Amino acid sequence: MKKAEGVIILWWLLFFTLHAEGTSYSLPGKPTLTNCRSPEKETFTCWWEPGSDGGLPTTYHLYYRKESSDAVHECPDYRTAGKNSCFFNKNDTSIWINYNITVVATNARGSTFSDPVEIDVVYIVKPNPPEKVTANVSWNKSWPSLRVSWDPPQKADTRSGWITLIYELRIKLEGEDKWEEHPAGQQKMYNIYSLQSGGTYLVQVRCRPDHGFWSEWSDSTYFKVPDYFPQERSIWIIIMIFSVFIFLILIWAIHMNSHTLKHHILPPVPGPKIKGFDKQLLKSGKSRDAFSSLVGSDFPPTTTNYEDLLVEYLEVYIPEEQGLMLEEGKDLHDGSLKSKSYTSDSDSGRGSCDSHALLVDKSEEEKEVGQKSNQQGGRTEMDLKRPEESPEENILNYSHANVGSPDVSCEKVKTWPSLFSPLTENSSGPLDQPDSPEMAKQHCLSDSLFPPSPLSSPFAPPGHKEVLGSNYQEYSFGNLHPQTGSHQYLRAHGNMNVANIGHKGVPADLQLPPVRSTEYVEVQKVNNENMVLLYRVSSDVEKGCPGRRHTEEYSRLKGVNNDNGLLLLQRMVSEEEMNICPYEDQESSGLTDSGYTTSTAQKSTAYIPPATQVLDERVAGGYVDTSMFTLPIY
Amino acid sequence: MFLDFLQWGVWALFLCPCHLTVSTPLDCRDDPGSLTRCPSISQEKLLDRVIHHAELIYRVSEELCSLFEELFIPFPLRLQSNQAGYACITKALPIPSSKSEIQEISDKWLLQSVLMLVQSWIEPLVYLQMTLDNYDHAPDMLLNKTKWVSEKLISLEQGVVALIKKMLDEELLTTVYSEPSVLQNDVQPEVLESVMKDYTLLSCFKKDAHKMETFLKLLKCRQTDKYNCA
Repeated sequence: MKKAEGVIILWWLLFFTLHAEGTSYSLPGKPTLTNCRSPEKETFTCWWEPGSDGGLPTTYHLYYRKESSDAVHECPDYRTAGKNSCFFNKNDTSIWINYNITVVATNARGSTFSDPVEIDVVYIVKPNPPEKVTANVSWNKSWPSLRVSWDPPQKADTRSGWITLIYELRIKLEGEDKWEEHPAGQQKMYNIYSLQSGGTYLVQVRCRPDHGFWSEWSDSTYFKVPDYFPQERSIWIIIMIFSVFIFLILIWAIHMNSHTLKHHILPPVPGPKIKGFDKQLLKSGKSRDAFSSLVGSDFPPTTTNYEDLLVEYLEVYIPEEQGLMLEEGKDLHDGSLKSKSYTSDSDSGRGSCDSHALLVDKSEEEKEVGQKSNQQGGRTEMDLKRPEESPEENILNYSHANVGSPDVSCEKVKTWPSLFSPLTENSSGPLDQPDSPEMAKQHCLSDSLFPPSPLSSPFAPPGHKEVLGSNYQEYSFGNLHPQTGSHQYLRAHGNMNVANIGHKGVPADLQLPPVRSTEYVEVQKVNNENMVLLYRVSSDVEKGCPGRRHTEEYSRLKGVNNDNGLLLLQRMVSEEEMNICPYEDQESSGLTDSGYTTSTAQKSTAYIPPATQVLDERVAGGYVDTSMFTLPIY
Repeated sequence: MFLDFLQWGVWALFLCPCHLTVSTPLDCRDDPGSLTRCPSISQEKLLDRVIHHAELIYRVSEELCSLFEELFIPFPLRLQSNQAGYACITKALPIPSSKSEIQEISDKWLLQSVLMLVQSWIEPLVYLQMTLDNYDHAPDMLLNKTKWVSEKLISLEQGVVALIKKMLDEELLTTVYSEPSVLQNDVQPEVLESVMKDYTLLSCFKKDAHKMETFLKLLKCRQTDKYNCA
C-alpha cells in the first residue's frame, strides 16, 4: 500500500517537474508589428503584438535602422504611446526615409525576432479626428438649415501646407441606424438642408491627408432642429381641402353627365331599326305580335309550294287608293332561283360583278317571264305590307346577288335576270322588256350596311315574306341595250338591308344577302294615277359609276300594280344610297310612254297613304332603285 | 493669292483667340519660351496646375510601383528599401529632407529643388521605359503608365520653369541633371537583379514625386496669405 502510494507520488512529482520545465524552457513567441502610424507627418508610433511569453517574463525591444545608415537604434520612447508601442518624436523622425523596424522579444531562454517592417513616414499618415465640431441651426425663410463647422486636428500642420486634409462628415437622426455621409473637401464647414422639424441629429466629422488614411470619426455632436410645423403643414392642409373640394365637384359633374359620358366612352351599339318593329313586344316574348307588323299574315309561309307563292308575286297591281305594289311573280322567282347560280363574288361586300353569267341567265329568265306583262324586273318587296292586303303584299325581299359594296365603281349585273323577264314587250307597264339579255346597267350601291351574303339566301322560298326590311329596295333598270335607251325595264331587287333591319325571326334562309341592285330606275314623276314614270338608267352606268343622278329624280319603287304601274315609295335617301355610285343623269330619252310614271315630287304625295307613310319616312328624294323594294316591315 | 492669304489671316485671327483661350494653360506650360504669349494665366492658377500635375504624377507612380511589385517581385523581397543596395539616384541632390529644413528655405530654393528633381527623373524614366519593353510579360498597362508618367514629367518641368519665371523672374534653362552611373546600360548579370534595380528605381521615383508634390503645396501655402493655408 505504501509502496503504491509512493509510486503514485513519485509519478506525480515527475510529471509535475517535467511539465514545469517545459513551460520555462520555451522561447518567447514571435512578436508582430501591427502597424505604425503618424498623425501629422512629423512623429510616428509603432505598435506590436507580443507572442506567447514562453512562461518567463519577457521584455520587448524595438530596433530600427534607417535607410541610409547601418546603425541600429533602439526605440526612444516606449511609454508615451502605451503598452507595446514605440513612439518616435520629431527629432527621431525623418521623412522620405525608409525605416527598418524590428521588435525583439526576450526572456530567460532567449530572444525572438519579429519580422522586419519597412516604413516611410509619409505613407503612414493617419491624422487625429477633427476637433470642435459645432452645429448651428439657422433659418432661411422659415426653413431651417444646419451649418456644421470644425477645426482640423491640433497637431496637424495644415497652416503651412505641410499636411493637406480632406474632410468628410456624416449625420443621422437620433435613433436611426443609417448615416448620411457628405464629403466636404478641404473646407471646414458644411451646410445641410432638408432637416426634419423637431428632430434630433447626430453629426460626426473625419479627415484624411491627401495621401494617407482616414482618421477616426469625431465624437458625436447633438443638435435639435426646432419645430417649424405651422408654416409647412398649414399649406398642406389648405391644399388638401382644395383638392378634396375639386374632387367632389368632379364626381358630381361626372354623375350628372354619366349618361353622356357613357355614350362617349361606350357608344351604344346601334340596334336594329325596323320600322314598325316593336322591340318591346319581342322582349315580352310575343313574337307573333312583334312580327306582325313586319310580315303579313302569311308569315311564316305555311306552304312550301313556292309555285303558288310565286304566282302571286308576279302580280303587280296598282290599287286605286293604295300605292303600287309590286309583286313578284313566279317567273321572277324562277329567275331568282336561277340567279341562285350566281354566287356573289369572293370579294367581300360586293355582289357578283361577273355579270356575264348573270346576264346570260337573266336573259333566259327574261324570256321566260316575258309573258307577264306586268312583270317586274325582279322581285320586289312590298315595303308597305298590310296583312289585310292581298298576297301581293308578299314580297319577297330577295337579296340580290349583287351585294352592294362601297366600291361603287364596279358594275354589277343584275342579279336576277328574271327581273328582266317581266319586262316584256307587251308589258305596258312601266317596264319595258329588255330586248336582249344584255348587261343591265348595274350600279353598285355602296352600301356598307349590306354585308355580303351568299346568293343562296335569296332563293329562299319566295313566298316568304321577308321580315327583313330593307330600307329600300333596289330597283335596277336593266338596260340590256345600252345604246337603245328605249328598253327599260324595271328590275326589282329585293334589297335586303340585313343590317338595317336586323331581321328578327326571319328564317336563316331568308337572310338574303343585301345585294344591291345594280340598276336603277330613274323615276321622273308620278302621275296622278300613282304611276311611276321611270327613267331608264343610261348606259353610262355600264361604264362604271356614272355621274350623279339628281337625287330628286329618284323615288323608291314600292310596288308594281296590276296595271304596270309602279308603286313608288318615296325613298329615304339613306347614306348608303347617297353613297351609291352616282351615276350620271340619264337622259330623259328613256322616257317611255305614259306607262311610266315618274315621280317628280320626291316627297311623294302621290302615293297611297299606306305607301306614303312608308315613303314619307323614307324619301329623301332620290331615285327609284328597282331593287330597292322595301320590305313590308311596317 | 493675296486674297486667299488675307482670308486665311482673317480666319486665323478670329479663331486664334479661341484656340488660345481654350488651350492657353497647355500652351503656357508646353512652351516656356513663349510665356509672353500667355499673359492671361495668373500665377496662382499656374501654381495650381503645377500642383495638380505633381499630384497626378505621384498617384500614377504609386500605381506603377504596386503593379510592378505585384508582377515581378517575389513576396519575400517586397520591401520598400533598396535592399539590393541601389541608392536613389537623387540622393546626391541638395534637397531638403526634413520639415524643419524645408520651412527654412526660401521659395526660390523650393522651386529650384522641385526643378532639379523633375529634371533628374526625365531620362531615367525613358530608360525605364526601354527596360520594361524588354520584359517578357510586362502588361500594357504598365508600359502605358510609364509612358504617361514620363510625358507628364516633361510637362511638369515646363510648368515649373514657367512658374519660376513668373514668380522669381528668373530664366532657367531646362538642363538635365543626369546621373550617368545609374543610367548606363550596364550588363545585367541577373534577371532578378535587374528587376530589383527597376523596382528600386520605381520606388525612388515614387518618393521623389511625393517630394515634389509636398514642396509645391508648401509653396502654395506660402503664397496665399502667408502661413495660413488652413
